[in-house]
Amino acid sequence: MKKMLAIVLALMLVFSATAAFAADYEIVSKGFQHQYWQAVLAGAQAKAAELGVEINFVGPANESAYDEQLSQLNSAINAAPKAIGLAALSTETCLDAIKTAQESGIPIIGFDSGVPGAPEGAILANCATNNYNAGALAGEMVYAAIKDRIAAAEGTVRIGVSAQDAVSESVTQRGLGFIDKIGELAAADGYTVKLEGNEKYVNDAKVESVDDGKIVIETLVPSQVTAELSAIDCQNLLNKSDIIALYGSNQHSAEAMVTANENLQKLGTGEGQVIGAGFDSGAVIKAAVADGTFLGAITQAPFAMGEALVDTMVKAANGEAVEDIDTGCQWYTAENMNDDDIAINLYD
Amino acid sequence: MQKQLNEKRGFANNPIVKAIGLQRIVVVLAVILEAVLFSILSPAFRQYATVVSILDYSYYITFMAIGVTFCLISGGNDLSVGTGMICYALAGGYLVQHMGWPVWGGMLVTIAIGLCFGVLNGAMVAIMNLPPFIATLCTMLITRGLGSILTGGMAVSWPSRNSAGGWFRSLFKIINNGKIIPVGFAIVIVSIILMSIVLNKTRVGRYIIAIGSNKEAARLSGVNVVKYQMLAYIISGFFAGLAGIAYSATFSSSVAPGTGAGLELDAIGGAIIGGTSMTGGQGSIIGTLLGVFVMSLLKTGLPYVGLQANWQQIITGIVLIVAIYIDVLKNKKTA
Repeated sequence: MKKMLAIVLALMLVFSATAAFAADYEIVSKGFQHQYWQAVLAGAQAKAAELGVEINFVGPANESAYDEQLSQLNSAINAAPKAIGLAALSTETCLDAIKTAQESGIPIIGFDSGVPGAPEGAILANCATNNYNAGALAGEMVYAAIKDRIAAAEGTVRIGVSAQDAVSESVTQRGLGFIDKIGELAAADGYTVKLEGNEKYVNDAKVESVDDGKIVIETLVPSQVTAELSAIDCQNLLNKSDIIALYGSNQHSAEAMVTANENLQKLGTGEGQVIGAGFDSGAVIKAAVADGTFLGAITQAPFAMGEALVDTMVKAANGEAVEDIDTGCQWYTAENMNDDDIAINLYD
Repeated sequence: MQKQLNEKRGFANNPIVKAIGLQRIVVVLAVILEAVLFSILSPAFRQYATVVSILDYSYYITFMAIGVTFCLISGGNDLSVGTGMICYALAGGYLVQHMGWPVWGGMLVTIAIGLCFGVLNGAMVAIMNLPPFIATLCTMLITRGLGSILTGGMAVSWPSRNSAGGWFRSLFKIINNGKIIPVGFAIVIVSIILMSIVLNKTRVGRYIIAIGSNKEAARLSGVNVVKYQMLAYIISGFFAGLAGIAYSATFSSSVAPGTGAGLELDAIGGAIIGGTSMTGGQGSIIGTLLGVFVMSLLKTGLPYVGLQANWQQIITGIVLIVAIYIDVLKNKKTA
């Protein structure tokens, strides 16, 4: 009996301790694998300090750990916070938990890629980069750089896209935005396009693919997210005789471009070199942009995203009306990357 | 039929074939066949840069595989090398990137943590008598989590080639005026020779083989089973640390926490294709190197002939089935 009592007391102690540490706002991210998330975290912390609220920012070990993220979301709901911020790895996996939160009256604010396909009304607002537009911006910049080469080429020209996966909403939207923009600009100049590679991208792009297209856009997706497999994909693309540009749609893919290029030395902005465009920052990509290996790269505004998220969560918790916020993106090059408005969003 | 069978046996009994080992000949042929096939099918594959890339991507797997070979021969296994390698590289890289340590310091820490986990694995298997599969599965999980915790969940960038501290990348590849020399292969060859000597010519190696063949018999003939079984895992931990350095040096990408799971299978697969027995007591380091090349060539070559992503895994799986089946047949014969 005494033992039982001791156990019960100990359990109560543990529960009260966790209750005491429970934060007002729970944020479930996609993990911290990319430095990008550190900048989101920094922005969220800054805003939380400013507003005087407490946040608990968590994330799974990697971006394939759907189950781990689900259990983190469940813990967040169990902590009964005033609001939850969620960047879902897979909406389907999180669906039941989202319903539970909805039933418990906990408002959910999406961020980063948000919670695409969530049931009507479950997500009050999203604080996110419009990834499709961001991809399109990269497409616009790359097209401007290769326009003359397309005109001068006798046969086909190829534009490679290295994508980490064909599942995550943010990664696919960045790929599709890029492909569609190239297709749109090409059509305006009277060129036809052929899409090759991963079926998801080929099928979901708005571009009309014709078999004898002048511009070939080939998208490769590795079977597993490893540095090696993505580098091999990039190498494979860089080795095609008609390649003129290559785009990596997130930090992982853009870094793989740098690894692949080390042996091939084909990327650059000079005569006959392949135009490279990256996404996000980190020491490797920043160096590639600075030394001219990449024409440029897209950066999101992760710090602003973290700030907007906490701000929106607090508003939602206070019952104020909230709406989607596009946290924006920028194209950075060797010339402008040290400007203040861009440098704040670049991280190592 | 019988005649054919006899001829086959005749080939296997040929003294030269016997001396080199049938499996090793098959593996060498497989490597050559792959190289020739990919070269014929893809012009882009036939270039120096591809050779360098295959070497680049094989270094870290080879190092892991050398270590795992010792564990397999001792009758065990080491599943922790993949996530371990990433964990050790994260810890070392973190000290360099965020704490201002010199690169050599980070490299030493990378190897030292590898050694620590080797000791832990060895102690669990040899002293606590945990099944190696389970013990190292646990350290696989531990290293995966620890890597994230040590770096606060952040990815770590070891210094890039042209920055201060980037010299360590030249240990594996020298790039000078566009000329690329894959010097890492020399480190691999030296390691292969050294560890072949350790395995075949020293007491350590012979005792590890003896333990793998028959642990009880080894104990009864006076072998300090605990000590030598532990040593197999310590060797594996050391080489996992080395693999962490090779990985950080050959990939421009940052090292990301939470990754590495699955890479141990490339190493174990390489060792098994190279003729190391799943049941212990048999294996060679050169065989392991060749086995790793079978895997690396497949991985690099298949995309060049237009077989994407998922096909690579299917074909690698089939190759492994064949290799393990050969192992099973060999064991049947000896039994």
